[in-house]
Parts: sequence; structure tokens; C-alpha cells
Amino acid sequence: MSREAYQVPSMGAQTAFDTQGGYGSAMNVDSPSVVYLCGECSARVPLKRGDQIRCKDCGHRVLYKERTKRMVQFQAR
Amino acid sequence: MPGSVHSQDQDQSMMDAEQQVEQVPQEVTLDEKQIVVLPGATETAASFQFEGEGHTMGNALRYAIMKNPAVEFCGYTIPHPSDPKMNVRIQTTDSTTALEALEKGFNDLMDLCDVVTEKFTAARDQFNEESGNRMEA
Amino acid sequence: MAPLVPSQEELQRRRIIGINPETVTNIPSTDFPGHWPGESHEWALDTFKNGFQVEFHRNDRFESSFSLIGLDAAVANAFRRILMAEIPTIAIEDCFIHNNTSVIQDEVLASRLGLIPLKGSVEGINWMHWVKKESDDEPGSGACDFNTIVLRLDVECYKNEYADKDEQDPRKLYTNAHVYAKDLMFHPVGRQEDFFVGDGAIAPVNPDILIAKLRPGQKIEMELHCVKGIGADHAKFSPVATASYRLLPDIKIERPIIGEDARKFAKCFPKGVIGLEPVTAAEAARSGSGYEGHAGEQKAVVKDAFKDTVSRECLRYDEFQGKVKLGRVRDHFIFNVESTGQFESDVLFLEAVKVLKFKCARWKRGLTDLMA
Repeated sequence: MSREAYQVPSMGAQTAFDTQGGYGSAMNVDSPSVVYLCGECSARVPLKRGDQIRCKDCGHRVLYKERTKRMVQFQAR
Repeated sequence: MPGSVHSQDQDQSMMDAEQQVEQVPQEVTLDEKQIVVLPGATETAASFQFEGEGHTMGNALRYAIMKNPAVEFCGYTIPHPSDPKMNVRIQTTDSTTALEALEKGFNDLMDLCDVVTEKFTAARDQFNEESGNRMEA
Repeated sequence: MAPLVPSQEELQRRRIIGINPETVTNIPSTDFPGHWPGESHEWALDTFKNGFQVEFHRNDRFESSFSLIGLDAAVANAFRRILMAEIPTIAIEDCFIHNNTSVIQDEVLASRLGLIPLKGSVEGINWMHWVKKESDDEPGSGACDFNTIVLRLDVECYKNEYADKDEQDPRKLYTNAHVYAKDLMFHPVGRQEDFFVGDGAIAPVNPDILIAKLRPGQKIEMELHCVKGIGADHAKFSPVATASYRLLPDIKIERPIIGEDARKFAKCFPKGVIGLEPVTAAEAARSGSGYEGHAGEQKAVVKDAFKDTVSRECLRYDEFQGKVKLGRVRDHFIFNVESTGQFESDVLFLEAVKVLKFKCARWKRGLTDLMA
């Protein structure tokens, strides 16, 4: 796909991060949630698309991705 | 006569060319490792290339071969440090061949190893016995 | 014509490598045919057998010290090099990391694990084969019971509920805060169950090697495959911590060192190398000995050159100038072999000799093909 052909996914006029809009959250119900880790309290934070990026326990705004579930192979050298 | 000198020269160079045709490296497979006789070898003077060997074998073998009175010259080299190859050069008198000198070198080195093992084991057993006795006393 | 036989003094002189304040002399071996006119020096097994001696100084399980006397440096060095680089041992080679949430990175953790010395039944280790590495042209041999040993490392750190409220030590505050080599678990497969049983089980030599530190919620889960390898490939496969030799030091006091000078002379050497003895009446009476009129005074004598480090300190002082000659004995190798724990140190040396012989035999076999 060429660079010009790519279309930034958008939900109408709203941005993906906008949680104010009514139908935005309605759409989020069936979108999959991804678990993140809080940078402050290490709590597991499941987020869906459009959710506010914020820890539900402590309100910290830095979240990290979880480590891959895949096996990683290394040579002991 | 100048003409005859000339023709001899030509003869000489012809012989060289013939020799070079024969001197295609001979290869011997040995657990994937090979001994190669490098080009330019004659009966009494040859360079052998050992793959996967280094100073360990090279210097010990050089010593064993130099102990042979029929050997005029023996030396080893590792032509390039990142190539796992070791060359041994042997030049002998007419009484033997380079190949025989090399084989004798291996034989002598193996005999040496047997003596070292034998004497080492004896000395160790004696030492263990004596120190065991001392501990008991 | 019978070959000339050099005098005992001459042979003794040839055995000593001279050590001067800034230089060394008489370095290369000269015991080759053709070097000394009229002398033989041909290889003779009997001559070697008569001249070769082994003396043991120490023989602990994992550290031994012994002298090989009457050997050329080329051969002694071959043994030392083989000890370090060509005796096969078992070490962790492949790490399959299922989970690692600790702060130590996967690749760093893997390389740390590789360096842990392992022990196990010697019989079992000798039974094991090499694993053939997969290359572009050929597939590898794959992991089998006779070439791969499986270890597992599964640890998770969590809070210790019973810890004291004011406890500061993380090892008491949490369980598994430190991951040690003893946490590596051996999982025998196939015939390994017959070889590596009881005391012969594969385990780290030192159980207290720190591998990683964890905090509650962090977890390490991995499978480790150990294979046979040699030190030339990677240092983790080297069976020795140190394998070294030094030449026996030689100290000759050529002119008397007496009184205060003798005490100063003794201080130039490690303890026990130089002793002090009173000059006897007989020595003092002999004219030209240098002891005249010194009866009863202390003179320096060489007690045990073995302990010397050859620091050359005594060569720095004017008062000893020309009175002492330092050297090393060319064919007296004091070996020190310290095993990492997989094999016993004396067995390692015998193994090195065996490897050299085996290499000779292998190349010789290739030679017969060359002759045909």
C-alpha cells in the first residue's frame, strides 16, 4: 500500500482519544481490551480503545505495555 | 656453446611446469578436517597444512620433528590469525622423506604422552598415599 | 664416532635461563641434533624416560600443583593450552525464556547463566555426545537425551506475610527476592536418569551464585539446554579456572654476603627463600673464600628457591652487585591447575595428555591416506 493510499482511521469527526462523545463509548463496548501496567503502582490496567490513559487505582498517567507472552530464545554467550 | 646453454634453460622451465601440474593439493578427509600438502613439495621438503590446529599442536609437533637428526629444518606457522589453519614445513636429508619425518614426529609425541601419563599417575598415587598417611598420623 | 657427551656442569649451565635487571638471556632450547657440534640430542624414549620426573606439591580435589621436570616448553605449553581450551565440559548453551519480568534483560540473564559452572556424574558427562549445530547445508542433530541436558529456572517473587513490620532486608521481606544458582532444577530425560542420579545429578558447582534480584510480582520462567563444548569455542566450556606454569627460580650466591648485608639480602626475597647461617671456622680459615675473619657472623644462603617470585629486587642494590645470579630452570615447570568443579584437577591433567595423544593419532591416521 502506498503512503498516499493510507487513511488515518477515524470515527467521524472525533479523535480516537475523545471520550466526551456519546456514541464513541457505545462503540467501545465490543472492542478488545489490552492490559497495561501502571508506572506508579504496577497495577494491571485493562484499557479499551478510546479509554482515558490513566491508572484506575492511583490515577497515574504513565502506563507500560506488558511483556510479550511469546517464548524468546537466546544463546548463552 | 651458447645454444646448448639456452636449450638447457628451456628444459629446466619445462620440468617446472610439469611438476606444477602434478602439484595439485592432495586432500585427505579426516573427521571433516584435512591435511593438505602445499604446492611445491618434493620428497624431502614439504609443507603440510593442518586445518583446525594452532600453536598447541604446532609447536609440540615442531619440537618432536626437530629432535630427528635426519631433519634439516622444521618450522610451523599460522599464516593468518583468523584462518584456523597451521602450516608445518619440513626439510630432511636424503635418508628419509618429509612425510616419514612427520609420521615419526607424531609417533614420538605419542610415546612422550604415554611416559608423561605413566609418571604422572605414579607420582600422584605416591603423593596421595603419603599425604593420606600423614593425615592419619 | 661416538657422540660427544657434554659435562654435567655444561648441561647444568644450559638448563638455566639468565635473569638480569632488564633482560633475560639464554632463552631458546638448544637440545636439538646439529646444534652442538658432535652431540647427539636425537629423540630417544629411554633418555626422556630417565630424565623426566613428576613431583607433586599439592593435590586437592579441585586444585593441584605439581612439577614436570625434563620436558621442553613446547610440550608443557601444549598441555597447558589443552587444559584451558580443548577438554570438553557441559555448560548452558540455549535459553528459552518463557517469562522474565525482572529488571535484568533477557540477553544479559542468558549470558550470566551460561557462565555458571555445572557439575554432574563424570561417567555421564563422558557418555554425552556433541550436539551438531544446524548449518545452511545440513540440519543439526537436534536435542536428544545423549547430547542435551535440560534445566529449568522457575521463580516468582512475592511478599512474605510473616515478615516483621520494620524489616528492611528484602530477602526476609519477600520470598525469592534473590535468585541463586541452586534454583536451577535438573530435569533428566531418557537415559540421563541412569547416569545423573543422586550425587551425580547435574547441578551448579556453587549453589550460591546470584543470578538475579526480584521484587514482588516479578517472575522468571525459563528452560535451559546444556550441551558439551570446548573452551576454544567459548570460555564457559573451559574446565579450569586457572591452568598455568612457572619455571623454577634459581638463585646462585657467587660471592659471600655477610652480616647486615645478609639480612638486607634476605629481605629482598619472600619469606623462606634466603636463610641466615653462621660462617663456620673452617670456611673462615680457607683463604680466598671471602669469609676470612668473619667466623661466627651471619651469611646468606639459599634455602628454598621454589618460593621465590623472581622480583629481581636484589639486583637493584650496589652492595649485591656481582654477588648474586638469578635465573630460572628451563625444563622445570611448576604447574598449577584449578578446576571449576566438573572434574578433579589431577584427572584434568591426565585428560589433557590424553587429548594430545588422541590428536596425534587422528592426524597420523590421515597421514597414511596421504602416503597411499
